[in-house]
Amino acid sequence: MAALLEVRDVARSFRGLHVLREVSFEVPEGGIVGLIGPNGAGKSTLFNIVSGFLSADRGRVIYAGTDISDRSVPQRSYAGLVRTFQTPQVFPHLTVIENLMAGCYKHTTTGVVANLFGSRASRAEVRRMRAEADAACDKFGLTTIRDRPAGKLPGGQQRLVELARAVVGKPRLLCLDEPSSGLNTGEVAGLMAALERLAAEGITILLVSHDMDLVKVASVIHVLCFGEIIARGPLGEIRHDPRVREAYLGA
Amino acid sequence: MNGTLLLQSVIVGITNGFVYALVGLGIAVVFRGTRIINAMQGEFSLVGGLVAFVVVESLGWPLAVATVAGVLAGGVLGFAMEWLLVRPTRRRGAGEESYLLLTLGVAFAISAAVLYFIGRDTRSLPGIGGEGSAVLFDAAVRYHAMWLVILSSAVMLLLRLFYDRTRIGLSMMAASIDEDGAATIGIDVPLMRSLSFLLGGLVGGLAGVLVSPLITIHYEMGLLLTLKGFAAAILGGLLNPFGAVIGGLTLGLIESLAVLTVSSGYKDVIAMTLLIVIMIFLPNGMLGRGSRKGG
Amino acid sequence: MLVFTALYSIAGLGVAFLLGQCGIVSLAQSVFFGIGAYSSAYCTTHWGWIAPTGFVVGIVASAVIAFAVGWPILRLSGYFLALATLALAMIGQVLFLEWDWLTGGTLGIGGIPKLSLFGFELRTPQRFYYFVWPVAALVLWLYANLLGARNGFAMRAMRDAPAAAAVLGVDTHVLKVKMFVASAMLGSLGGSLFAHYVSFVSVDSFTVDRAIHFLLIAVLGGAKTIVGTVLGSAFVTVMPHWLTGFGDFHPLLFAACLIAAVMFLPDGFGGALQRALRRQGQA
Repeated sequence: MAALLEVRDVARSFRGLHVLREVSFEVPEGGIVGLIGPNGAGKSTLFNIVSGFLSADRGRVIYAGTDISDRSVPQRSYAGLVRTFQTPQVFPHLTVIENLMAGCYKHTTTGVVANLFGSRASRAEVRRMRAEADAACDKFGLTTIRDRPAGKLPGGQQRLVELARAVVGKPRLLCLDEPSSGLNTGEVAGLMAALERLAAEGITILLVSHDMDLVKVASVIHVLCFGEIIARGPLGEIRHDPRVREAYLGA
Repeated sequence: MNGTLLLQSVIVGITNGFVYALVGLGIAVVFRGTRIINAMQGEFSLVGGLVAFVVVESLGWPLAVATVAGVLAGGVLGFAMEWLLVRPTRRRGAGEESYLLLTLGVAFAISAAVLYFIGRDTRSLPGIGGEGSAVLFDAAVRYHAMWLVILSSAVMLLLRLFYDRTRIGLSMMAASIDEDGAATIGIDVPLMRSLSFLLGGLVGGLAGVLVSPLITIHYEMGLLLTLKGFAAAILGGLLNPFGAVIGGLTLGLIESLAVLTVSSGYKDVIAMTLLIVIMIFLPNGMLGRGSRKGG
Repeated sequence: MLVFTALYSIAGLGVAFLLGQCGIVSLAQSVFFGIGAYSSAYCTTHWGWIAPTGFVVGIVASAVIAFAVGWPILRLSGYFLALATLALAMIGQVLFLEWDWLTGGTLGIGGIPKLSLFGFELRTPQRFYYFVWPVAALVLWLYANLLGARNGFAMRAMRDAPAAAAVLGVDTHVLKVKMFVASAMLGSLGGSLFAHYVSFVSVDSFTVDRAIHFLLIAVLGGAKTIVGTVLGSAFVTVMPHWLTGFGDFHPLLFAACLIAAVMFLPDGFGGALQRALRRQGQA
């Protein structure tokens, strides 16, 4: 199985503080990979480097066989690498369906000029976007709230909107940053089911979380602690790893 | 180019530089205390200068009294501004652009009020230390310019002591860095914000009094002064108010040396271009490090 | 007066668009308004070319300048960006004055011919009125089209959450530059029309105050809605007409309106109207 994402010796420090030191890991195509670690382990920094919001001091990020270390966020997105945020980033003034329609940006093509004049292609495209967004609303159970402004929704629903919006963009690798934070137990169960369904559809998922329940869906888990990967393997294995126990429970 | 001319323009540059530094200092004081860029900093100077003028010309009181009156006028205006306008806007949970529009609106209101009530005339105060000047290697240095440098430097030192040594100065910093934390330890955060504006107003008023013998007081002077002060402030690093001195001097010198080579009409164009270039390439000032990338 | 409403709407729409849909505070519109006006004035009076050339020259020049300037400054955001555009307006104001070989300086350029359409000269305000309103309506139509299409969504997404928009594949910097250019072209169009309407242009018409007027249109009317922009420009133009007797008083009034709008009408007239309608709809 070829790796879809390969993080190679990535290091990053802020003002002399080594947040990441030579981190390497792989995400194989297909399936769900988890990345866990206690607070301050460097998960967010690593995630920002993978998605292009930060650059690494050293090391490379290889995606689908290409070095994407110097690519911008939109370029990575066009290549199929899409992320969500720890605090859900919906477009608050847009309705749910409009959020999802905005998610269609990548596989639609009309330019500003065509849009201005409302060309036939432009109008047909909007209809297609609406249909896709509608379908996604159905799939994620958002139909009842589709015309509400996303900013007015409770946190759990905002997460769902963000996830649906990412999926509408047809990602190949979906990176989720703490997708279960702010969700209740029932919602977490729903989220887990949704993730498994997406994985079954062929989307590779990289899951960052410190929620031990949620990471059950991952087949392999990497444990990040003080900027280093200290363990990797299925949940059953790493759970008994003494270093992991130490990191989580303290010495 | 002859040496005297060069020296003369260096002197002008340093003098103007201190004015920009003082305006920039006011902007930095307000920004440090409230995280608001105050687009009406130049208007504090306009009002301060006008009040001082009225005290001297209409009441015939001494210049020292007028200076104090001008400075206080700036302070009162700053406090009132925060109290009446910024605070209600903050309560609404406004963003950066709202504050900018608000302070810009006030800047225009003051400028328009001056136009309406006082008119288009230009006024100038007598210089501190009289109109005479000393001669330094063939170049003339106005006594007033010397006073300006001395007074501005004194203000900057006092402010530094105020922020480093006094309880209230430290509280003002704390209130802007960590609002909730400051409130927890009993700091009256809204009051500290008002005080920041008050302080910014005082500095602005002083700048007005000091600048008016050099450039005339005019209803349109505020905005340009604000922008140049802002350039000085970011050139030196916004969060480092004393950087405004370095920024102001740099700007003043570049401006006056540029005037030697191109027409003086382009002075402001050069300053504004410099402002844009600084914001793009040196957002953290000449002394700052790191970039603003990411996020 | 209603002619001015339409003229200013066109240029103000550019500003409103940037503010409301892209989250960019632009105070540089007076520059592009000036470029349009001077292009029309210079092409028609100095070279004796036909009127449309002035429009084209102005729009092309504005687009080129907006691109050249916008590319670097649109990397900035928030306060820095707004102040950068304000600095641009200052630069524009000085250059319009200093380049008197082109602009006539304080004397200005007079004798700009009236527009004519199919041999029908738009001599009177009424005739101009019937010409300029359809132009404004056309611009509004284009604007509405854009908002409801792919790039309109991208733009609003970028305004609401720039990081998330970038994740969706939107190159926010490029999109902002495109919109800044489009807005400048509108400013130039408004300026050209202005020159032909008043037939005399001078630096006084293109000062920073003018830029504030355009921004006021956007803020007051409510930049997020199309209706708001028209309301805003109506207000900004009609108010001083009612108050002409006050002379120098109206700048003060404008500034007061701006302050009041920022404090009490976060979404402007348009937003207030929308809310009122929604409330009525629910009742």
